[in-house]
Amino acid sequence: MKNMREAVIAGVGITKFDSYDGEKGRPLRQFYDLGSEAIQKALDDAGMEWNDIQAAFCGSVYCGTGSGHQTIQKIGLTGIPIVNVENACSSGISALRLAFQMVGAEIYDCVIAAGFEQMPRGPIQSTAWPVWQRQMGFNVQPADYAMRTVRYMEETGATEEDFARVTVKNRNNGSLNPNARMQKPVTIEEVLSSRMVAKPLRFLNACPLADGGTAVIVCSRDKLKSTDKVVTVAAATLCTAFYSSARIQGADHVQTSADQAFEMAGMGPEDMDVVQAYDTMSPGELWDLEKLGFCKKGEAPHLLREGYFDLSGKLPVNTDGGLMSRGHPLGATALAQVIEIYRQIRGEAGPRQVAGAKAGLAHAMGAGPNSGVVILKR
Amino acid sequence: MSGAEKTIPLREGLWTEKGHDGQPHLLGHRCLDCGEVFFPRKENGICTHCHSQNLELIELSRKGQVHAFSVVMLRPPGGYYRGDVPYALANVLLDEGVLVEGLVTDVNLDDIKVGMDMELKIDKLHEDDEGNTVMTYKFRPSAA
Ligand SMILES: [Zn+2]
Repeated sequence: MKNMREAVIAGVGITKFDSYDGEKGRPLRQFYDLGSEAIQKALDDAGMEWNDIQAAFCGSVYCGTGSGHQTIQKIGLTGIPIVNVENACSSGISALRLAFQMVGAEIYDCVIAAGFEQMPRGPIQSTAWPVWQRQMGFNVQPADYAMRTVRYMEETGATEEDFARVTVKNRNNGSLNPNARMQKPVTIEEVLSSRMVAKPLRFLNACPLADGGTAVIVCSRDKLKSTDKVVTVAAATLCTAFYSSARIQGADHVQTSADQAFEMAGMGPEDMDVVQAYDTMSPGELWDLEKLGFCKKGEAPHLLREGYFDLSGKLPVNTDGGLMSRGHPLGATALAQVIEIYRQIRGEAGPRQVAGAKAGLAHAMGAGPNSGVVILKR
Repeated sequence: MSGAEKTIPLREGLWTEKGHDGQPHLLGHRCLDCGEVFFPRKENGICTHCHSQNLELIELSRKGQVHAFSVVMLRPPGGYYRGDVPYALANVLLDEGVLVEGLVTDVNLDDIKVGMDMELKIDKLHEDDEGNTVMTYKFRPSAA
């Protein structure tokens, strides 16, 4: 990772995140429709042609074999290497990290990272649990989060009202994001009276599913078509679990991925003007902000109550509404996190613009576990 | 019903019916090199903490405390779980310092608390398609 060439973002593309299942008057759009729309938008944003792209890394989870190839076939056939990246919710950020390294290492000058998903309908089967554990009812994702939430409440004094506040903040921000699936704000009372899913987590503590596509073009500075407001990829890291148990305290992979990113960027949490934290479940945003280094353990609920993470606060978090408003197309989510930071630094975030944003951090994590952090700066 | 229905464990090797004290105990592995304790046992015989292959099978304590829990209000996907909904899951910290996830029984679901003293109970999970009674390990409140 030493002395890499600077890698910059030439352009980004994102579809509206929504349900594209062809039911009840909704349009039917496949993952390759969504992915190729995002790629074309990124090319347009960069002022580039498909011929400028020398390699592609494509993140997805449920799209099957060669999903990146199927997507890129809709754009152009130029013989470039296409590599499909499946890393659960961190797929897109894992793809971007590879693009960043390829440009940094001077293997290519212009690489695209894409992320797309059309989510399976109905309950998602997970093979993460062996059959005997499924027979014991362990295969409930919200229950895992609920148990972590119970620990967090025990250790920090955070309350269900704090978790509701995360949803309320993010849904407010999402109401300013035309690409978000959920654009209607909710109240604390609505969250606290929504259906219990796995105690203490309720329906409105969970992000909705969605389908969508995203793309980010990474290149060397000399390949940029415009040198106006250039955004540099200051860091891109990826960590998996370190051994840890009740008896043996291991490093936290989220904290380590952030520490490595700050070191790589030569920056600290205090240098970030805007953050996209990971809010699949609303309590997760709070401990995520703590692990990423933006405050001490147990401080996030207090800062949230004070408005510190609001759009108008000291450190706006999830300005595009986060997963809570955008919805969660697994393969596309991580790059949506990055694209919002890019838009903020470029001053292109419209009614949700954070004044003077010069640097920001995007986080994606999930099954594996994986944790990927990207820092962008002007 | 063929008349040949049996009582069978959910999975062989998770527990022993009669441990050193005549009581059921969960079976785990202890690493003889680093001392780490695992449940369930490591099928491939490798300690994921220190990578030793020097593991011994041990009976785990029947007692522990609730470390975390959740009351699940929805039926898990796939139809594998056949029990009642809602139901409670807990991570119980056994006396050896190993966390074990399990179903909670013999308790009002609203009364489960972090720190609550629990003990092992081998209990019916469900009846399988052949009419066998499938048993599993659970945790129930204990008198400390
Ligand atoms: Zn060991």
